[in-house]
Amino acid sequence: MAAPLVLAVLVAVTVRAVLYRSSLAAFISERVEVASPLNAWKRVVEGLALLDLGVSPYSGAIFHETPLIIYLFHFLIEYAELVFMITDVLTAVALYLAIQDFNKVVFKKQKLLIELDKYAPDVAELIRTPMEMHYIPLKVALFYLLNPYTVMSCVAKSTCAINNTVIAFFVLATIKGSAFLSAVFLALATYQSLYPLTLFAPALLYLLQRQFIPIKLKSKSFWLYTMQYAALYLCSLVVIICLSFFLLNSWDFIPSVYGFILSVPDLTPNIGLFWYFFAEMFEHFSLFFVCVFQINVFFYTIPLAIKLKEHPVFFMFVQIAIISIFKSYPTVGDVALYMAFLPVWSHLYRFLRNIFILSCVLIVCSLLFPVLWHLWIYAGSANSNFYYAITLTFNIGQILLISDYFYAFLRREYYLTHGLHLTRQDGTEAMLVLK
Amino acid sequence: FQDQAEQFFRSGHTNNWAVLVCTSRFWFNYRHVANTLSVYRSVKRLGIPDSHIVLMLADDMACNPRNPKPATVFSHKNMELNVYGDDVEVDYRSYEVTVENFLRVLTGRIPPSTSRSKRLLSDDRSNILIYMTGHGGNGFLKFQDSEEITNVELADAFEQMWQKRRYNELLFIIDTCQGASMYERFYSPNIMALASSQVGEDSLSHQPDLGIGVHLMDRYTFYVLEFLEEIHPASQTNMNDLFQVCPKSLCVSTPGHRTDLFQRDPRSVLITDFFGSVRKVEITTETISLDRDVAGFESKLPKDELATEPLKYAEQLPVAQIIHQKPKQKDWHPPGGFILGLWALIIMVFFKTYGIKHMKHIF
Repeated sequence: MAAPLVLAVLVAVTVRAVLYRSSLAAFISERVEVASPLNAWKRVVEGLALLDLGVSPYSGAIFHETPLIIYLFHFLIEYAELVFMITDVLTAVALYLAIQDFNKVVFKKQKLLIELDKYAPDVAELIRTPMEMHYIPLKVALFYLLNPYTVMSCVAKSTCAINNTVIAFFVLATIKGSAFLSAVFLALATYQSLYPLTLFAPALLYLLQRQFIPIKLKSKSFWLYTMQYAALYLCSLVVIICLSFFLLNSWDFIPSVYGFILSVPDLTPNIGLFWYFFAEMFEHFSLFFVCVFQINVFFYTIPLAIKLKEHPVFFMFVQIAIISIFKSYPTVGDVALYMAFLPVWSHLYRFLRNIFILSCVLIVCSLLFPVLWHLWIYAGSANSNFYYAITLTFNIGQILLISDYFYAFLRREYYLTHGLHLTRQDGTEAMLVLK
Repeated sequence: FQDQAEQFFRSGHTNNWAVLVCTSRFWFNYRHVANTLSVYRSVKRLGIPDSHIVLMLADDMACNPRNPKPATVFSHKNMELNVYGDDVEVDYRSYEVTVENFLRVLTGRIPPSTSRSKRLLSDDRSNILIYMTGHGGNGFLKFQDSEEITNVELADAFEQMWQKRRYNELLFIIDTCQGASMYERFYSPNIMALASSQVGEDSLSHQPDLGIGVHLMDRYTFYVLEFLEEIHPASQTNMNDLFQVCPKSLCVSTPGHRTDLFQRDPRSVLITDFFGSVRKVEITTETISLDRDVAGFESKLPKDELATEPLKYAEQLPVAQIIHQKPKQKDWHPPGGFILGLWALIIMVFFKTYGIKHMKHIF
């Protein structure tokens, strides 16, 4: 399987290299859908230039990257294009290895459940075989590498690619079962952009499952392991933050990075939901609504943890998707990350209800984003409502996609344990509904 | 005769100009107009004609409806000295005193329609006195209660004047709060500056007159005026004496001065080099034949003067040596402790994950 992966990597690198040399690179790097105030390349360059002039890059409202990014690019700024291509390749390879391992885990679990007779007798067609699962890792890597969103994000040199790499390594470490590495990468991901904090729950659930610790609130080993993992995570986070202090000898980066993410002062339009709402809000309400919007991101973790505690990797996928939809400055790079996981759930295809409409919505919205931007900003014949409408539609499409997959997953699980032909009490055919 | 000729050509200027600016309006800023008018009076008395004085007064105190003694501006509470006099010629009055007009006067970038009395027609042999008074702060001076001029702008205007050869030497006097901040940024050569107070100090006013109802003058200018009243066109008093005017006991604030940009020793600079218009004309009744051979002239320079060549515009002073402009651009490097800590952590994580036994594969 290494050879097709290498081929895919080569194709992806060629595509990116070609785009870097073309005139589209400048055009793409200015698109607001690709570059947000948090991860635009222009701002990284500006921050490093300010540092060379002897001024702290966090002193204005331009630079919102973490000190580790300053350190990384201080030495690599001439090779920036190479760095971003390498990060994309690393993400793809990490996802490939992660999904390969995950397939083995899934298959083992399936075998165990079959032997324990947990499945209904007529669900033979729902059982997954190694044959069909063989190409899934390659498809995942391909989905990530050749996704137009990823390519655009890489050509624009948005540091979202680095965030994605860290999250991909976190996923790899979790699925391999190493609690220490998983905690370290999760701390790095949280340090980079705060929202991966919610990925703590699925990682913990997966590692508990792997250690065969039952998830009961009264179980002592559960709490022990949770405390261990939480301690590892918090210690690494604290260590990384303290280390960042020593780069510039100041704590300026905390309000600049995390204060910026949480308080959303910059209302440049992007594909998210925050900007329009806060652009038209009165000052005295903005604190309340900022809190509401931010809680919305973190809010789904606990209910999903309760519902999906047997399926932590699916939980991880849903959580990453929720982060990309509801975060304060989303870009298409974040969308590309969770879309890379879709081949893993390709067996759910028969249960997806709205997949055609949703894919059309997503494709059409992606095409309409630049059109309506041009109409609004350059031609002047539209206004911000048009762009906001497309943003809304795009996000609704994403939310419906996630909920569709959620429904399909749960439905398959239900069928597995209750049989494919469900009947009601009076014998007519029953239909599963997500309440 | 040669000694007399040396005395004659001691300073390099042939004409004198004065730019006197009062930047505050309203009746309670009477003292700023009085300050400016007293310097005007001294300067005129010592010989500079109105055609060489640009007087900018932001408000009219003499004819102000609140003035109980109309057509007068007094500088002392016993009404001893009416500095308004009979022949005051105000060039920029009232709302014409703006930062833009002031800078245009200094740099000479004046629209062609401006009248001659409003222009500073100096050349490279002019000594200019610039006196400013009003309300100021650290690095700025307030004009008309609506705009400000900063010390950087002023320094750049003086540099423009130097580059356009609009002055030989310049004396800058400022009487405002924190006045020393206004001369901090000068970087052009041949500028001497005096201020009434240091950064962080306020310049105080002298005394109020209960009949007129306002403070009549500021302390620093009051004592400068007292000092200047003693000067006559033939005085040999030099700048060091002017630096001693108004010590802290009288002025409460600490006057400051700046001479590092000035070529000559302040001890050899006469007050009348700036405040007066001492014409280098001596009338003799006999004819003198000048010796063709003047080669021995330069060796007769007294020892305490700088034996440097007279400064020509073609070889300007290296500005970077005089002031520190921008610091040399150093590239930023992350501190060693950070790099060490980061890589130590990375190596620790690596070995924790993969075990120590791999070390033997590396070495």
